[in-house]
Amino acid sequence: MHPEGVRFRIIEGHRRAEQSDANDQGFRTSAALSQVENLPMPTTTHAFPDSTPLLPRWQTTAFALAAGVTTVACGRGLSSAIAASAMLVAGAWLDRRRQGRDERARQASAAFVASTDRLGHDVLPVWAAHIENSRQQMETAVAALTQRFAGIVDRLDQTLRASGQGDDKGLSAAFAHSNDELRGVLDSLKDAMASNAAMHTEVQNLSRFVAELQQMAAEVADIAQQTNLLAINAAIEAAHAGVEGRGFAVLAQEVRKLSALSGATGQRMADKVGVIGEAIRVARDAAQASARREAASALASEGAINGVLDRFRGVTQAMEASTAELKQESAGIQVEIVEALVQLQFQDRVSQRMTHVRHNIERLPDLLSASRRSFDASGALAPVDAEALLGELEGSYAMADERATHAGGAPMAAPQAAAAPLEEVTFF
Amino acid sequence: MAKTIMIVDDSASLRQVVGISLRSAGYDVLEGSDGADALKKLTGQKVHLIISDVNMPNMDGISMVKEIKKLPAYKFTPIVMLTTESADGKKAEGQAAGAKAWMLKPFNPPQLLAVVQKLVLP
Repeated sequence: MHPEGVRFRIIEGHRRAEQSDANDQGFRTSAALSQVENLPMPTTTHAFPDSTPLLPRWQTTAFALAAGVTTVACGRGLSSAIAASAMLVAGAWLDRRRQGRDERARQASAAFVASTDRLGHDVLPVWAAHIENSRQQMETAVAALTQRFAGIVDRLDQTLRASGQGDDKGLSAAFAHSNDELRGVLDSLKDAMASNAAMHTEVQNLSRFVAELQQMAAEVADIAQQTNLLAINAAIEAAHAGVEGRGFAVLAQEVRKLSALSGATGQRMADKVGVIGEAIRVARDAAQASARREAASALASEGAINGVLDRFRGVTQAMEASTAELKQESAGIQVEIVEALVQLQFQDRVSQRMTHVRHNIERLPDLLSASRRSFDASGALAPVDAEALLGELEGSYAMADERATHAGGAPMAAPQAAAAPLEEVTFF
Repeated sequence: MAKTIMIVDDSASLRQVVGISLRSAGYDVLEGSDGADALKKLTGQKVHLIISDVNMPNMDGISMVKEIKKLPAYKFTPIVMLTTESADGKKAEGQAAGAKAWMLKPFNPPQLLAVVQKLVLP
């Protein structure tokens, strides 16, 4: 395209920017800038016509020469003088009009360069600040979110550890301990019952001894009776012996007394044995009743203890089941949260992208200022080197998807974390 | 005694994610927000492994590795670069500086722990 064409389009863009209201000033200005960037990039700078009097006045000079030639050719008549004067005036008028147009173009260019400079110093820093502010807000929010998730993971971990102790070693151990204790109580009851049974057997044995004692007492009474009979017979025989038998009669009398005493003692023994036998029978009956009551009580206790243990076992098993479920669910939640934390790493990637773009935007004001300084110094429009700016942006990329976006390909999906350990890891 | 690992990254959220992964595996964790901050915090500490990003403000990861390798106490401390940077040229720079491994973000905690266990001596 001809340089004049380039200049015209720049001026038109700038004029539209000036006509826009204050609210969309930046947008219009950027539109004008993009219009400039979309134009074929000139390889050299473009100088506008100089407004110094010598060169632009070629039309006046040409018309003056033409007037002189006309005067010489037509002689010294009035008409030739008028024609020459008219040509001089026309030349001067055309010259002035061209100068005015060039001056307006130069002023418009200066205004455009100044506006792009203002774009660089006023608008682009705001854009960059918005990007940076958004990046920081996102980082703060994601960091807070990560912190919360980390807290949840920690608490779940502690809960799991606590429930693990309560489940495997606490509940089961408590149940086993209680079971042992209560079985011990039952065993003690059974031991006591066995002792009672042994005592009952001993009492039964005593009953047998009582019968023997009663038999022995009866035998003593019988012996006393027979001794008494012998003493009576001895007394009769002593009487038959007369005076010689008097001493023997005294002896027989004493034996009778002794047999009477023996008989009384045997009777008392029989009486006492009877009393003892009755006491033993009463004690045996009482022991039997006690044994029956203890057996019934032990049976009831065993039933109650078994019932308690069964219920305890049921509660323990239910708690174990719910604890196992809780553990499973908690572990599942932990996995989900860790996965969420992995996904939150998107913030790092987005933050890097935003930083790269912000740095590139922050480079533009200096380039626009340099362009303005160049224009102010030489009066020539110096285009911003978009290729260099793009090159700097591309050079700042760290991620493959950034490069793909820059190349204009289809948007790449964000990369996922490697599924297998040590995948995507390079060891040196 | 628990081993100490330093994570260096300018992203606070990423430091937290790495920290959670390492602490859950029983490691103590130190954090640095960039290379310069990490160098400052390494002084007087016993660190068994360093995990670092590459692109950071103030001092980037590669420069930090070079500086750490000059410190007698950390000359043989393994350093893992954990970064989004996938360019082979950067990897070569990391290797030349003295890094032991190059790991791409995003990472999975099991993946990170496998690398840590491989490099941290028992």
